[in-house]
Amino acid sequence: MEHIGVRETVQFMGLTFNIETLEMTWLAMGITIVISCLAVRSLKVIPSGWQNFLEIIVEWLHKQIEGMMGKRGMFLAPFIVSLFLFLLTSNLLGLIPFFVSPTNDLNTTLGLALLVVCMVHFFGLYFKRGHYIAHFFQPIAPFVIINAIEEIAKPITLAFRLFGNILAGEILIIVLLHLTENPFWLSLPSVAWLGFSIFISCVHAVIFTMLSMAYLGNAVKE
Amino acid sequence: MIEINATMVAQVVNFLILAAILRALAYKPVAKMLKQRSDKIQDAINKADADKKAAEETLSQYKSQLADAQKRAQEIVDKAEITARQEREALVAETKKEIERLKQNAQVEIQNERNRAFEQMQKEIVTLSLAAAEKVVAKNLTSKENDKLVSDFIAGLNEDMFNGVK
Repeated sequence: MEHIGVRETVQFMGLTFNIETLEMTWLAMGITIVISCLAVRSLKVIPSGWQNFLEIIVEWLHKQIEGMMGKRGMFLAPFIVSLFLFLLTSNLLGLIPFFVSPTNDLNTTLGLALLVVCMVHFFGLYFKRGHYIAHFFQPIAPFVIINAIEEIAKPITLAFRLFGNILAGEILIIVLLHLTENPFWLSLPSVAWLGFSIFISCVHAVIFTMLSMAYLGNAVKE
Repeated sequence: MIEINATMVAQVVNFLILAAILRALAYKPVAKMLKQRSDKIQDAINKADADKKAAEETLSQYKSQLADAQKRAQEIVDKAEITARQEREALVAETKKEIERLKQNAQVEIQNERNRAFEQMQKEIVTLSLAAAEKVVAKNLTSKENDKLVSDFIAGLNEDMFNGVK
């Protein structure tokens, strides 16, 4: 129980890295790539197996992107699909014994959230130029303070929501196993919580992706 | 527990690498396949529509041809009936004429035959009368009663025998 929250770090070129998070990230990346390879290994007009899985996700996200960002947002589809697949794999990875989710580290979630917010501002300026800056001062100039707080809150809420849920889920899995020695009362809540954690993992992958799309939609939509 | 360090940058880089790999490896082929499939379905729908239209056209063509054929068949039948009736009427008329002609011929023939028979009879009667007269004359040439008898006979012949014939 002591190891919860204690990060194993390595120093590289004077920088500190959480090595476990990086290892798990690479593992998650590997799994995502392997699943994608399985899905596209023999693409058929009539899909089967993993092709179905990937096509369902891609089609669903295409629909969401079109709804939230319009036709112009379609160029971000590969990014959104990758984000969703990576988050889904990462969140579920922590439920396997001896593995942890890369998303239980704030560095991962905040990194992704900042990436999304940077993209929002970049594409906002690229597509809307002056109008994008002007919209921070609406409806009247003093609102720039509230808008600024909102813009700062976006990556923070996005990052902490995912981080908190995944970390809490993993902590609770460990805590439940230490509550009692009785095998019945040990297994029942753990199994129930594990099942709920699978649901939570999927839901938070969806939430992070959807909110990213919504933020990007503001910048990209015509 | 909450400690921001260089891992954050590394994670962003990791994710960007993953996004680039997935874009090339998975997204593009899948998106292409989805496009291909929707194109194929669209083509199939278009083809089905075109086929249906063609089928309907062919059907209407067949129907009009069938109606045309029926009309022509009816015309041919009507024409045949009219021709048959005309021919029958002509035949009947001709037959009637023929019968009339035969009847007239027969009447003429009968008349001729009768006339001939009458002439024949007249001749025979005269011959018989002469023969009878000869006999009477030969027997009683001088008797006045006999002369009267012959005259009466002849007179009787003229009145009784030729009355029914004429």
